[in-house]
Amino acid sequence: MSAIQESERTAIQEELVRFLRAEAGEDTLRSGMQSDLGYDHAVWQKMAEMGLLGIAISEDFGGIGGSAVDTAMVAEGLGRSLLPVPFIETCVIAPALLEASDMTDESRKILTRIAQGTATIAIGGNADIVPFRDPDCRLAVKADGTMSGEVSLVMHGGSADFLLLAFHSGNQTRCLLVSSDHDYTIENQTANDPALRPAKISLADVPFIELTGWSNDNFEQAGWQGIVALSAQQTGAARAIFEITVDYLQTRYQFGRPIGSFQALKHIAADLFLEVESATSASQAAARALASKAPQTAQSVALAGFLCNDAFREVSAQAIQLHGGIAYTQEHVAHLYWRRARATLSMFGDSDLHREAYLSAWEAAA
Amino acid sequence: MSDFDHTASPEALSAAVLGWLDLYWDTQHRGPLGEPEGNQQLWRQKVFDAGLAVPSWPEEWFGLGMKPAQCKVIEKAFAERKAPGAGLDRYHLGAITVFKAASDALKREMLPKLLTGPICCLLYSEPNAGSDLAGIRTRAERDGERFIINGQKVWTSNAAEAEYGMLLARTDWDVPKHRGITFFLFPMKQQGVEIRPINQITGESEFNEIFIENAVVPERFMIGKLNEGWASFQTAIAYERLIMGQGITERRRGASAKGRSPLLELAAKTHRLQDPVIRQRLAQALAYREVNRLNNERAKRDMMTNGSLSLMSLSKLAMSRIQHGEAAIATDLLGPASLLDGPDNADPANTNFDAAKAYMNSIGGGTDQIQRNIIAEKVLGLPKEYEPDKGTSFREVKSDAGSRNGE
Repeated sequence: MSAIQESERTAIQEELVRFLRAEAGEDTLRSGMQSDLGYDHAVWQKMAEMGLLGIAISEDFGGIGGSAVDTAMVAEGLGRSLLPVPFIETCVIAPALLEASDMTDESRKILTRIAQGTATIAIGGNADIVPFRDPDCRLAVKADGTMSGEVSLVMHGGSADFLLLAFHSGNQTRCLLVSSDHDYTIENQTANDPALRPAKISLADVPFIELTGWSNDNFEQAGWQGIVALSAQQTGAARAIFEITVDYLQTRYQFGRPIGSFQALKHIAADLFLEVESATSASQAAARALASKAPQTAQSVALAGFLCNDAFREVSAQAIQLHGGIAYTQEHVAHLYWRRARATLSMFGDSDLHREAYLSAWEAAA
Repeated sequence: MSDFDHTASPEALSAAVLGWLDLYWDTQHRGPLGEPEGNQQLWRQKVFDAGLAVPSWPEEWFGLGMKPAQCKVIEKAFAERKAPGAGLDRYHLGAITVFKAASDALKREMLPKLLTGPICCLLYSEPNAGSDLAGIRTRAERDGERFIINGQKVWTSNAAEAEYGMLLARTDWDVPKHRGITFFLFPMKQQGVEIRPINQITGESEFNEIFIENAVVPERFMIGKLNEGWASFQTAIAYERLIMGQGITERRRGASAKGRSPLLELAAKTHRLQDPVIRQRLAQALAYREVNRLNNERAKRDMMTNGSLSLMSLSKLAMSRIQHGEAAIATDLLGPASLLDGPDNADPANTNFDAAKAYMNSIGGGTDQIQRNIIAEKVLGLPKEYEPDKGTSFREVKSDAGSRNGE
């Protein structure tokens, strides 16, 4: 259930669209790409002022208490702009898990700081809520109450104020919060997508706060929140690059006619349109199911998981092909969508995994 | 005159319709009450007189002026009592076209007949005019206050039962193709109309070829104006394409029951449900069907809120992908057994049928390739392809093997 009324939601959406159009264009994306952070910090601050960073956080902790439908709305906007801000990690997954855990002064403080835009959270490890799982991570808690180990693929791990490390330990899953006030080694990893900032983190005898009190259901829900937000982000991005491509088909002339008049290209465009709309339908349905705690949520989430993955990949890949030579250049934006699509394919598992989960859920429901 | 109030609440309307049905319809014997013969004609007349055949149409045109949601209530009540005859404003393509495009005089004369008689057949496609339907060559020549029709039509269903056909014929050969076509309401039961069933690849024969030789249509049976039939026809065909994507061409086998999938059942039966490769394909197939349902839901909402048809245009393409895809998986599940057929081999026979029938969706009502052109041009706004016949009089346009239509 969402604490946000339909009219408020429309207002937030309109403000978001205006903001992204004004301040999150290709220039912002590209200048952010040149920076250590990977994105323009002013944009993040502005999102905080608009209340968007606390959209999933309860009103008790300085947020506005939105549901999966609301976070999906923000994620879709961010997806359109390709801004690589740590929204899903910081504003969707971490709050879901923090609020499901035993509440402490520290977690209360962190939630408030997230909503205010003064704390970001990076998530690493090999558990299901980790966006980019590192199967080779070695993380262990020691008897003296510190932890040690190594984990790669921690997105924004270098700049985050907190690390949320979620990993399998024996037959249980542990979730540790490590403040960046403590010493640990950060090794930035080079990403194929020039906007992304994965890091390898090495920790030795570092103090942590363990999140406790959450149930397996809570944990699964937090992961679903992440998948649904990602699907919305992919939907927004796929639609954006699709629109850019259709525009180009209308304006680019060869053989004395717009290339969009050729059936070979038209038919690809029509098929891509089906992909974009199907991704949109699947993502919206999953968000609605999750927000209303519908019994078929597992199925809806898995469906959105692979349809949106595959749609974004197909649409962004064909966008380069449909543009031809111009999109084979760094100057054109198409390759940035394509790289992001490839980077997101393995977030929260991959399409094959989601397909298997979807079929299993089908069988369980039958 | 009407017993049904279009300001009534859905509950009150439903109760009124059910009450009316209980007065006149015998659910158990599936016929009008007190009519042991089950007289269909009489029943259709009864439904028509009550305004229930076309409730969305205005009262002066045989309807009740109901909104779509109210029409749904009426159709649901009919379905509940297993009574036929409701919802003709949604699927009687002939009557819908006459209602939307014909003169008031023709509407007044013919709508009561059409709505109480057998469904109209469609005389559109010809052997030489399929995807390029505007290239029809059946000719209508004026002879006083009537037209003489000569030509050949194809892919006509319900031809033998139909009393009237919706005929597209060429009335001017010296203008570009779209501008020389006239739409007629064509009386089927007359000399010079020969109906030959087509043997289809599914083993069915629902379609016919129609040979027309010196048949006659009165001038007043023209739908719309002379040489302006193409515009009226667009209304009719858009509707036909729209209902295709809803999977109406599919074989019914209880597949709609929630939580059941014939494909999963076949996988279980053939012991392939644990095969991870098959599982991936099954999941993808189920997903295409599920997301088409979600797309259609959105499409309906879009249509209600802003009249947009862009999402609707996708469902026919999506349905082709679903049907061809499922048939391919089923074939692979059966393995060598898929070469069998006939009543002793139900699973292979069903799969073979579905594999063939899938073409009904991907070719019928315009091929998927034509549909892609429509989506690209009408929805995405891409420009039309170069048209060699544009602006050329139909007589000069090239036909098969480079001959000209006029030769």
